Amino acid sequence: MTNALETELKQLIIDTLELEDVTPEDIDPDEPLFVEGLGLDSIDALELGLALQKTYGIKLEADSEETRRHFANLKSLAALVEARRVK
Amino acid sequence: MTRQRRLVDAPWRHAPSQGTMGWNGDFGGSRISWAGFRERIGAWQRRLDKLAPPGQRWLLYHSDPVAFAAALIALWERGDSAVLPADDRPETLDTLSRLATARLGEVTGGLLADVDQAPRWGDLRPDRVAVSLFTSGSTGDPKQLDKSFAQLDAELAAHLALWPLDGRLVISQVSHQHIYGLLFAILRPLCEGAPMATRACRYPETLSAWLQRLDNVSEDDIQAPRSAVLISAPPPLERLPAELDWHPARERLARIHSSGAPLSAAASAHARTVLGIGVSEIYGSSETGGIAWRDQQFNDHWAPLPGIEIRNDAEGRLWLRSPFLADPSAWECQADRIAPVADGFRLLGRSDRIAKVGGKRLSLTGMDRSLETCHGVLQARTLPLATRDNRLGAIVQLAAECIPHDHATRRELIQALRARLLSAFEPTVIPRYWRFVETWPTNAQGKLSAEIVALLFADLQDRRLPRWLGVENNGAQACRVALEVPERLAYCQGHFPGQPVVPGVVTLQWAASLARRHLGLDGSFHRLERVKFPQLLLPGDRVWLSLTWRPDAEGGRLVIDLSGQRGCHASGRMHYVATEIGDAS
Repeated sequence: MTNALETELKQLIIDTLELEDVTPEDIDPDEPLFVEGLGLDSIDALELGLALQKTYGIKLEADSEETRRHFANLKSLAALVEARRVK
Repeated sequence: MTRQRRLVDAPWRHAPSQGTMGWNGDFGGSRISWAGFRERIGAWQRRLDKLAPPGQRWLLYHSDPVAFAAALIALWERGDSAVLPADDRPETLDTLSRLATARLGEVTGGLLADVDQAPRWGDLRPDRVAVSLFTSGSTGDPKQLDKSFAQLDAELAAHLALWPLDGRLVISQVSHQHIYGLLFAILRPLCEGAPMATRACRYPETLSAWLQRLDNVSEDDIQAPRSAVLISAPPPLERLPAELDWHPARERLARIHSSGAPLSAAASAHARTVLGIGVSEIYGSSETGGIAWRDQQFNDHWAPLPGIEIRNDAEGRLWLRSPFLADPSAWECQADRIAPVADGFRLLGRSDRIAKVGGKRLSLTGMDRSLETCHGVLQARTLPLATRDNRLGAIVQLAAECIPHDHATRRELIQALRARLLSAFEPTVIPRYWRFVETWPTNAQGKLSAEIVALLFADLQDRRLPRWLGVENNGAQACRVALEVPERLAYCQGHFPGQPVVPGVVTLQWAASLARRHLGLDGSFHRLERVKFPQLLLPGDRVWLSLTWRPDAEGGRLVIDLSGQRGCHASGRMHYVATEIGDAS
């Protein structure tokens, strides 16, 4: 199940952030999403937060230490969605 | 003498009746006399008189230079002015039609001349608006620029002083809907009583054939021109094939002009070698008209045109005072930076382009320079996109061997470029949308126009489109388009799960639509023949789509080949019925 959710999240990230040169296979679940690894930035974080809210009903506090931990990599993001989704 | 060569003196009224106004170099083509031309002016007036009293503004678009000239003078002599759209795209025409009484010329809904009749002459006052032109910058909406007869006459006088036509044939490779083509290819021959070519010779094959005809004109034909002046631009001059027969050019071409963008030193030297004569370039803009000129066989700096004063400010920006401007006493600042030299100036490029990206101010020029230090990057332009608020796009010209060919090489390249930029810029301002090109994409004037930028990023808006990365025309009926398959192409979703490939029929759809755009193909599709899809086409793949139009009795065949580094992905022929082929300009 986690795998299906991970695939779904990969697609969500690519579509939300319009990462033209990235396919789901390019996203390593253990690699950092921000700065190194996928190279996302602070604007991406805001947009991703918005997309999580729209798709799964998850509310995140912008710029909190907790949010930063959830956004560390795809695995932690999937764990967050699994635990807190209301949609 | 000069006084009678101004527009306000209307020299076309008095040009000798039997003299040549239009010369046709096509096989069996006939010439147009000044008497015949005056009847054509009358024919347009007859049409306009039926529609509205004098004092109108008419939208005018006509690719035939003689018909364009006749319509323009007809409306001027009636007491009207012309709105000249820069191109004939439906959106352009719809926007500008609101400013005009009606459309004239060869456009949808355009009115054409009535039957010939004697013309009526009016009063061409210097302060009257003669034409309204529209800029085509790389960003922003087109800007309206009104030019009075006095402004146009001031510039024509400067050209006459520097480069008198002396009865030579004017052959043009550029559009006269823009200021440069209007002045050089239409108004100068009209004012100086010189013949103009009856059609634009955009392709080198046509140009070579016409010069051949000119070279073969009999000595007894006293009304035929003896030599020619070529009105050209960087795109045709850069792509002059040396293998055509240019001997007649060396005999008959007296001068070449180029404008729209600076010609590279290499292209200038190439044109000089092939055509046997130097290129006189004009630097200027739609707003300012001509500012300065140069011939790179003598100088690579620019000399101001007669009557123009130039200075620079602390930031190096060019200021000019010019009799071609609406206010000849005012100093105007330009976006270009210059370094003065003894008898002119050097161009140093555009002054800093500043953008606000995600709330941060950023020098785009600085980012371009930073990219240009990367391995394989020949030229780069980062730019805000009209359709994306917070993210930049980047157009990057690469050496042929550095062009990425598939998903993996493209991704690797983008990561390398990002890494370079991250050493100097914040992550949020780094471009998100990358377009890698082999040749710098420009319009017919040699500019990276807003239309070309829109084409390069069109796949962002419509996920059914391939990523367009440039076109190479090969005559009027063949071209090669560089394409990339976007990773997020709509057709690949679920086709097939886990292994996306582009359906073959989609590539045929792309071919048909690109043939419409680049070859002006305009018929109804009939059937397919010999269609093959030998190699799978995958997201991220970069390919060349070659299109060749072969007309036949019923219509014609579009021959298609879509190939990339792994070989051929699609080939075949599409048959069309009752087709027309337009001017693929």
